[in-house]
Amino acid sequence: MNTGMIKNQMKNINKFFAIAFFLMVQNSFAQDILVEAESFDNPGGWVVDPQFEQQMGSPYLLAHGIGKPVKNAITKVDFESDGEYHVWVRTKNWVPGEWDAPGRFKLKVNNQLLDKTLGLRSGWGWEYVDRISVSNKEIDLELVDLTGFDGRCDAIYFSTSDKEPPSSLTKLKAWRKKIKAEPNAPEITKSYDLVVVGGGLAGCAASIAAAEQGLKVALIHDRPFLGGNASEEIRVHTLGIYGNFERILKKIDTEHYPNGSVDAKLDQKKRDDNVKSYENIDLFLNHRAYDANAVNGVIHYVDARQTATGERIRFEAPRFVDSTGDGWIGYWAGAEFSYGRESVETYGEEWEEHGELWTPQQPDDAVMGSSVLWGSKEVENDQYFPKVPWAMPVAKDYARVAGEWQWEFSNPDYNQIDDAEEIRDHMLRAIYGSFSNAKKDTVNAKIKLEWVSSLVGKRESRRLVGDHIFTFNDAKEGREFPDGVVMETRDVDIHYQTVLEDEKNPDFISEALFYKTPQYYIPYRSLYSKNISNLFMAGRNFSCSHAGLGGPRVMRTTGQMGAAVGIAAALCAKYDVNPREIYTGYLEEYLALIEEQKFQKIPETKK
Amino acid sequence: MRIVFTLFIILLLFFNKGSIDFEYSVERNTSIETLDSPPEFFVLKWEKGTKLFAQKTDLYIEVDSIGRQEVLVLVNENKTPVLYTSEIATPVCADGECKLMHIKFYWTLLGEYAGFDRNIELPLTKYDHDEFQQSDYQKLHELLLDDKSVIGRRSLDQLVDKPKMRSVNGVDAISGATVARVKEAVVSGALYSCYTAWHMVYGDIQEKLKNTTLAALNESMIMEMLYSRNQEYQIFALQKIDDSKYEEHSKQIAEILKSSTPLVRSIIVKSFIQKLKKEPELQRPFWNAFDKIDIGTRSMLLKQLSEAPSFSIEILSKKLDKMSKNQLKLFLDNLAQKESIEPEIRNILNSFVNLKNNPNTYLVTNFLEDREP
Repeated sequence: MNTGMIKNQMKNINKFFAIAFFLMVQNSFAQDILVEAESFDNPGGWVVDPQFEQQMGSPYLLAHGIGKPVKNAITKVDFESDGEYHVWVRTKNWVPGEWDAPGRFKLKVNNQLLDKTLGLRSGWGWEYVDRISVSNKEIDLELVDLTGFDGRCDAIYFSTSDKEPPSSLTKLKAWRKKIKAEPNAPEITKSYDLVVVGGGLAGCAASIAAAEQGLKVALIHDRPFLGGNASEEIRVHTLGIYGNFERILKKIDTEHYPNGSVDAKLDQKKRDDNVKSYENIDLFLNHRAYDANAVNGVIHYVDARQTATGERIRFEAPRFVDSTGDGWIGYWAGAEFSYGRESVETYGEEWEEHGELWTPQQPDDAVMGSSVLWGSKEVENDQYFPKVPWAMPVAKDYARVAGEWQWEFSNPDYNQIDDAEEIRDHMLRAIYGSFSNAKKDTVNAKIKLEWVSSLVGKRESRRLVGDHIFTFNDAKEGREFPDGVVMETRDVDIHYQTVLEDEKNPDFISEALFYKTPQYYIPYRSLYSKNISNLFMAGRNFSCSHAGLGGPRVMRTTGQMGAAVGIAAALCAKYDVNPREIYTGYLEEYLALIEEQKFQKIPETKK
Repeated sequence: MRIVFTLFIILLLFFNKGSIDFEYSVERNTSIETLDSPPEFFVLKWEKGTKLFAQKTDLYIEVDSIGRQEVLVLVNENKTPVLYTSEIATPVCADGECKLMHIKFYWTLLGEYAGFDRNIELPLTKYDHDEFQQSDYQKLHELLLDDKSVIGRRSLDQLVDKPKMRSVNGVDAISGATVARVKEAVVSGALYSCYTAWHMVYGDIQEKLKNTTLAALNESMIMEMLYSRNQEYQIFALQKIDDSKYEEHSKQIAEILKSSTPLVRSIIVKSFIQKLKKEPELQRPFWNAFDKIDIGTRSMLLKQLSEAPSFSIEILSKKLDKMSKNQLKLFLDNLAQKESIEPEIRNILNSFVNLKNNPNTYLVTNFLEDREP
């Protein structure tokens, strides 16, 4: 393809989501169209999955039917000219092996099912479908799920040339940018007093606290619902105490329902309504940040993309809050961070009773794992569940009809960020396989798989480094700090995989070690970056050691961090200073502000 | 009332002692001199012909209403300590009714649970007075094996109370999931006995036993541990030996790498390159073990590749089909650091691409594609 001569044209397919991208190569008259699956007019029963964009290149459509094929995703595709087109689909077989691929699907063009079964190749890449003929410059395109077991489609590519697009991620990225003709900068720029990235409990609390203090806030979140691990999409209940921020946290936390309970939906509505009630919070749901630009240790903007339409927005602000969980904003901006376990000597975080399981002699990459929650219910009639041979190497003979927090996966072979998709998929195999085993027992004949999350609920990944690194010893000794704005009484508990002590155990089940502590405090200095001067962090990516994270990683505590940061941001705005200077110059006023907000009346405008 | 109860216990104890002396094989009494067969429920390996001799210690376990229960050390013919044991009589009380539980516990030299002997004449009983069956003893053994059991950090009250579903500001509510786990872990109808036994095994005595061992520790005890199959012993011994001993026993350590738990393997994999720096040839069996160990340890091993002697690449290049996606990536990343790829390894890569049933061939294809200009 002669790239220098490319003329691009972008065209909206309809007023909702879909955008098809045209590309004319003038010399050869070859025509290319890339249709992003997540931008389909109607995704049917497929769900948009943006979780792994940083690893595999794009949000994609997932046929998460928990064993029943989902409804077709449908879109119209417009062509510049009629003719014969080669068709490729970017997909992957998520469990390659000696069985039929679990997530198989086909394409339907103009109501005609194409022969080729898709979802068969290992690793993300292109599968050739067929050559189709286009008349009237338009086709109706459908994704037809064949299994209900998590088939996935990233994009469909039509070309008059027979050259397959690149599969290697580096080359694909450049190719995609070219074919979409994306300029470097997003088309839209917005400015705020504070930009909060990540709408989990920490991000929600930060936004509310800052908004109550009068800041104009943007809250960017990559899901349709707020709450992160506490949302109805993941369903972990919130633990920990309210500390100084009961009033704010009660707007967004959950009841103590069992993890995975459908009751999460009730708290979802409360949380969404409360956050939306603030006029000075601009909520950008379904927007995933993909870049942050820092010059000389100062972040100038964060770029985000709508997960379905692909529309991009640049967010500018004097200060930012990283509540992404994975510490993405800090990572892109060049913030110092850590991952894995420090050696026992690093901070002296020994607990002799549990030795190596608690803190290792030598540092390593081990972290607490991710959970995928799920549940089933009893119904009136017998329920069929298909055979899942591809799940059995993981589930083995484990048989269950529901999961709790112990359904957790971490392994030295996987990084919780880079391999999040494989980790989610490993859990899906564990779940489907264990459920299939349980169904062999006639006692479970009427049990129906009710819900399996498609989202991976992480516990630990990157931890950004602040002026203070909170450790297990800070908790164990109940150390008090002049800036101890977050407090907790919950045990420090660190999870480990039970397979470490016995290879016969399933590798997806964890155990917790609990260390009983007095009340402990997290200093404000653990809530802003050491080397990125205008970056706060709140949530599991705050400044702590691996063992330090064991206690305050739960969501009321991370919510406290958020609220503490939101109030600090307001003070930063008042004096036009950086987060660090709140500690060095305005601590008294900051602490007074925290006291004051406890009983704040809701202003008329926000009622 | 309390006095009456104490008297009753003393009486019981008196008859109990008498009956043991009279009816039992002497090997099962604390007054015994030798132990020549393994305890009925036992976690360590028992070499045939082993004879252990009981010796007094200063240690004891304090039992409510009963008093001190002696702890003995069992030594081998060389007078080296091997096990600790204590024959326990302890009241188990439920709803105001108390019964005595008779059991003889064994601990390892590090104070870990090693096993128990039941008292054939005075079997354990359940809440409804039914006697323990063999399967119940087995279940008790499994519970005692779990040093992190869910019943460990709960009071009995918490375990029998109805679950509270709301936890506010630090109230330690017990969840439905915990209740289910407790039920799964204990002998049905014998929560109180199980609870008492677990807390007796994992009480303060553990640390005292370990300290007693540390005070008596010698080279031969460390070597016994290094050559044992017990995970705790292996970890302990690996920490205690210096670099020259590490070299001397590297063959055994490589053997542990192959046969032990992933936890012990992780310790070895993180340190063997450093420990064997002076004698890199001794690393061969460690790299050769790659396909004999679990996937997690394989990854940890591959993460050490940049520090490893060059023969490790050669060894691993013959095991590409045993590698996960990420392991193969690590291997290829390591290769990419090199100025040139040796022809032999290039040949291996070229033929790997054509494998039919390996899901990771595309990685090598991409690797070769990215290296094209």
